[in-house]
Amino acid sequence: MTYILGIESSCDETAAAVVLNGTTIASNVVASQIDLHAQYGGVFPEAASRAHVEAIGFVVDNAMRDAGIDFSRLDAIAVTRGPGLVGSLLVGANYAKGLAVATGKPLLGINHLEGHVYSLWLTQPYREVKFPVVILIVSGGHTELLLMTGHGEYQRLGGTLDDAAGEAFDKVGRLLGLPFPGGPNIERAAINGNPQAFDFPRARLEDEYDFSFSGVKTAVMREATVATDGRRNREEHKGVQLRADVSINDIAASFQRAVVQTLVDKTVKAAKAHDATEIFISGGVSANTALRNAMRQQSELPVRYPPLNLCTDNAAMIAAAGYYRFESGLRDGLEMDVRPMWPLNNETYAR
Amino acid sequence: MPILKEGELDIITHSAEQTARLGTRLGTLLLPGDVICLSGDMGAGKTVFSAGLGRGWGATTPMSSPTFNLVHQHARAKDDVLLYHLDCYRLKTDEDVESIGLEEILGPRSCVVFEWPEQIEPWLPPEHLWINLGIMEALRRNLVFKANGKRYEHLLNEFRGITYG
Repeated sequence: MTYILGIESSCDETAAAVVLNGTTIASNVVASQIDLHAQYGGVFPEAASRAHVEAIGFVVDNAMRDAGIDFSRLDAIAVTRGPGLVGSLLVGANYAKGLAVATGKPLLGINHLEGHVYSLWLTQPYREVKFPVVILIVSGGHTELLLMTGHGEYQRLGGTLDDAAGEAFDKVGRLLGLPFPGGPNIERAAINGNPQAFDFPRARLEDEYDFSFSGVKTAVMREATVATDGRRNREEHKGVQLRADVSINDIAASFQRAVVQTLVDKTVKAAKAHDATEIFISGGVSANTALRNAMRQQSELPVRYPPLNLCTDNAAMIAAAGYYRFESGLRDGLEMDVRPMWPLNNETYAR
Repeated sequence: MPILKEGELDIITHSAEQTARLGTRLGTLLLPGDVICLSGDMGAGKTVFSAGLGRGWGATTPMSSPTFNLVHQHARAKDDVLLYHLDCYRLKTDEDVESIGLEEILGPRSCVVFEWPEQIEPWLPPEHLWINLGIMEALRRNLVFKANGKRYEHLLNEFRGITYG
C-alpha cells in the first residue's frame, strides 16, 4: 500500500488529499474561495494567497484525519509546482517542504495539468487504461489537447492561441451580466435558450489541433451589446451596455454550442488520427453537460471524464499523479522552485 | 488615417489579421527595456495585437491570453531578453502588484506588454508607448498610439516609417 499526500494551491482552491496506490481516495478536502472571489468577478492574486495561508494548515490536518493515518504512514508528499499564480503556488510548495523536513518524507513537485490527467485514474470503479489515449484538458486557465502514450509520457497536440475555453465562458458570462464563475451560469442560462439562434464563428487555424476562442467572444459582444463609436473614455473603460432586444439565454446556448463543437471536433479527430483507445476529458469545463454529451455522441471511442468534484481543482489528482512519479523513482529536493508557466509535454520533467 | 502630430498616430484596422499585423511590425522594433500599454475593452483586440507583437519580436511560444495567470513570460532564440505579457484587470491593491513581482519584470533586459494598464497607472513607468484600441463596429478597430518620452517618440516614428513606407 502506497499512501501519497497531495497538496494543491495553484489558483483559488486550497486542497489536500490522501490517495492510496494512485487510484483510491482516502480523503479529499477542498476549501473553496469561490465566495471570496465572486464578489469581484474573478480571482484576485493577493486575496487568493492570503486565503491559502489561512486555510492550508487546517485543510492538510483534515485530509490526514479523514484518511485516518498519521504522517509517519505516508510514503511521499506531492504538491503542485505549477502552472498557476506564483503567490498561490508558493503557499502550497512551502508548506509541503516544511512537512517534508518535519516528517522526513520525500517531496514530489507535480505539474497541475498532469494532475488533471490523473483525475481520470480516480473514477470509480477503476478500469485499466490502455494507451495511447487522447486527453482534452479544459479549464479557466487551460485548453490543452494531449496524446498520452504511457505514464508520464505526453505529446502536446495543440492548445489555445488566445483565450482558454473556461476563460471564454467567464468573459462571456461577465458580458451577459451573469454571476462568477461564468461556466456553470452560462450552462444554466443555455438550458432555456435556442442554440441555433446565433451562428457564432469557429476559428479556422493553420494548425488543426490548436484552438482560438477570442473570435467567438468578440462575436458575442457584437451581437449582445450596444455599438460604440470607438472613442473610449479612459475612466469608463469597462462600460459595455447589453442590448435590450436579445435573449441572454439564446446567446448563452449559441455560444456554448460554438465552443463545445470546436472542442469535440478537434478531440475526436485527434483520437482517430492517433489510434487512441479512449478519449479523456478533464478540468473545470469537463463538468459541462453539453460538452460531455456531445463528446459521447460524436465519438465512437469510449469517453471518460471525472466525477464532478474532481473536475475542478483538487488535491486527490495531485496525489494520484504523485503516485506514478513516486513509483518511477523520481524525487524533488527542498531547493525546488515553483513554475508559474509550465507546459505539459515530453519535456515537462526534463532538466 | 494617420494624424500628422508628433508623438501620436491614429490607425483604423478592418480585421483581426490587420490588427495582429500592426502588432508584428511593432514587435520587430522593440528594444530591451521597452514598455507597451494596451488599453481597450473586452474584444477590442488587445490579445490579438499582442499575439502579432510576439511573432514580430520572435517569441518561441504563442502570446496567448494572460488573463488566468496574470503574467506570461516569453523567450526568443536570438538572445536572453524576455518578453512579459501582463493582464492587470485583476490587480487592485499595492499587494496585488507586489505579488506579481512587477519590479523584477520591469528590467533593462525585458520588454513588457500591459493589458488593462489603467488598473495599475500609479505603478507604470512614466515613459511608455500607450495604445488605445477602440471598437468601431463589427471588425473595425481604431488604434491610437501615443508616445510618452523620447524613446517612444523615436519608436513611433520608426513604426510609422515601416507602416506607411
